[in-house]
Amino acid sequence: MYECRKVIQSPIFLGLFLLFSVYNIYLIVSSSDHKEELKIVNELIDTYGRDISDTSLAQLDQDIQQEMTQLKRSAGLEFQSVHELLENMSLEEQEAYSQEHWNQIQQLAVKEMYFNTARSIDESYAGIDIQATGEGEVRMYGLSGSSASYLLQEYEKLDKRFEELVKNGEQKQWFFAGKAYFMHSFLFQTVFRHIIIESLLLIVLATALITAYEFEQKTQLLTFSTKRGRKLMKDKFSASIAIAVATMILLLGITLGTFFIVFDYSHVWSTSISSAFNWEYNFPYIAWWDISVGTFLWLAAGMVLAGGLLMSCLTFALATVVKNSYIAFAGIALFFVAVLLLPSFMSKSSILFFITGYNLSQLLLGISNSFMGGGLTGSRNYEWLTVSCWTLIAAGICFAAYRRFTKTDIG
Amino acid sequence: MLVVKEVSKQYGDFTALRDIQLEFETGLYGLLAPNGAGKTTLIKMLATLLYPTKGEVLYNGNNIIDMDSSYRELLGYLPQQFGYYKNYSPKQYLLYLSALKGISKKEALPKIIELLDKVALGDVVNKKMKKFSGGMVQRVGIAQALLNDPKILILDEPTAGLDPKERARFRNLLTDLARSRLVIVSTHIVSDIESIANEIIMIKNQQILYKDSVETICGTLDGAVFETSMEFEQLESFRQDHVLLSEKQEYGKMIVRFIHKETPLVDWLPVQPQLEDVFLYEYRDETNGTVQ
Repeated sequence: MYECRKVIQSPIFLGLFLLFSVYNIYLIVSSSDHKEELKIVNELIDTYGRDISDTSLAQLDQDIQQEMTQLKRSAGLEFQSVHELLENMSLEEQEAYSQEHWNQIQQLAVKEMYFNTARSIDESYAGIDIQATGEGEVRMYGLSGSSASYLLQEYEKLDKRFEELVKNGEQKQWFFAGKAYFMHSFLFQTVFRHIIIESLLLIVLATALITAYEFEQKTQLLTFSTKRGRKLMKDKFSASIAIAVATMILLLGITLGTFFIVFDYSHVWSTSISSAFNWEYNFPYIAWWDISVGTFLWLAAGMVLAGGLLMSCLTFALATVVKNSYIAFAGIALFFVAVLLLPSFMSKSSILFFITGYNLSQLLLGISNSFMGGGLTGSRNYEWLTVSCWTLIAAGICFAAYRRFTKTDIG
Repeated sequence: MLVVKEVSKQYGDFTALRDIQLEFETGLYGLLAPNGAGKTTLIKMLATLLYPTKGEVLYNGNNIIDMDSSYRELLGYLPQQFGYYKNYSPKQYLLYLSALKGISKKEALPKIIELLDKVALGDVVNKKMKKFSGGMVQRVGIAQALLNDPKILILDEPTAGLDPKERARFRNLLTDLARSRLVIVSTHIVSDIESIANEIIMIKNQQILYKDSVETICGTLDGAVFETSMEFEQLESFRQDHVLLSEKQEYGKMIVRFIHKETPLVDWLPVQPQLEDVFLYEYRDETNGTVQ
């Protein structure tokens, strides 16, 4: 507790934590203009169930037609689809509608969009050629030799998983329309990336501060000559881990708490993360396992926690050796960037191009694509192998740094 | 009790201490040498902060490095220079150090109040230390060294920053403490320990020069310390030929105290050697004067 207090009482740490929390809340609230439209998915799930079937789609179509008829009658309009109505509507015409009618039109437009997307899922997925995508990636990155073979093998495995996914119907579950709202990217790329960078800054700062504290305050001669002696570094390690966990939990809690208060995910937790509605860019999200949005969120939070703890361990090891928080902070920042760029220095014909991609920086910054196939870090084993390898590396480095410290003179 | 056995300490090519052999029992030992002679290096080895390059330090026959925390729980140590947490009060700071010394909060609190009273800081127990003078911080340092009622108390330049009144109080405190424990005081100020140390240890050329009582050490200059008076104009040539211990002006003449080991002149007044005379003689600058 005494060691934790050194960080808790640090104005820089507290100030940064507060600043990051407020910024994250602002980021979420300022991007929430479409939050009401998202609720339509909850209504769809309530009315038609999570899974999209021919029967539920027919029912939805019928209901949309009914609503359109009512709207045509009450507003005195004539149109074939809401999409067509909105496309041909001038600003003056728009202003002529009552707020109630306008809300009805908008709701109907969103429903129609969901219906059309759902209706075209089979066709869209039938057009996906996983192998051809893999070959395209090989060409795009200029891969050859063993690295090209490796990537093509991965796409072969992904092809089988894709077939299984389609067979299971994982793609046919309601979720927020990816191409319209990009909610997966917003949550797991924008918001999570903010949380990750901020957590890492705070964790590295806190760990370096705790570890090098005695040397920077010049109290090392007093503290390390007490009964606890050099074992004090063990307490500092435990305190760093405790602060890292608390920081991440609080930052995740505040940020995600705000996110889910603003955006109502209550009905989509069990929807598959591989839902066709989650498709945002050129390639749909194809998870290696049938995992729900809720499970994916827990896994992503778990990876942030694991990554943060590993970075804390590495910072502890470096700060133990250099005994200076500024150097340790700069060293870890440099390390983070260096390992991120490392694959780009590898030969594109060598398997090292992929092996060096199994690093903490890529794992954390690419969290939105975690557990998904495709891309350079899309291997089925990428996440657990990266975390396991770096756990071993961090444990080894920490142990070596501590052993070295116990045998080093303290001047 | 505490034995320094053939200990050497090297920093790369530089030898700080060479083949140091010492034995300590209960009592007060003064470690006397000029700055840079290796006192702090020796003390840091006794505090397990530095490891000997050669040799070992034994406590009751056991290597203190192997004893680890069971040795350090017997130790009270005041470094020559030490930092503190500026936003902590002495009470908070001593509570933290008590925890590191394995003392429970319940046990530590009354002890902290007692010790802060003893070093005359009883009225600033809860004041932030960033407002403290150098002397006050030094007294907090002395209090922390006594927290665990140590069997071995090692103080490195403990009187730095203390005023004459505080020094006198501190000397009394040391005399009390040394009755039941081993106290090692490192200093380059002779008056700090001359009157209270059971034995004086002097280090020269990285080795032990003396480890003896004040009387015995002073006895090495018996019949060699003199005082005489002269005109100011004669002083420069006198300096060239003798090792001067002190000079003072009195009634328009210079009174000088010096070492002379040959037959003295009739008007020279032989005086009783003091520890300071030995210190000045042994650590004299070789270019200044010669002993005759």
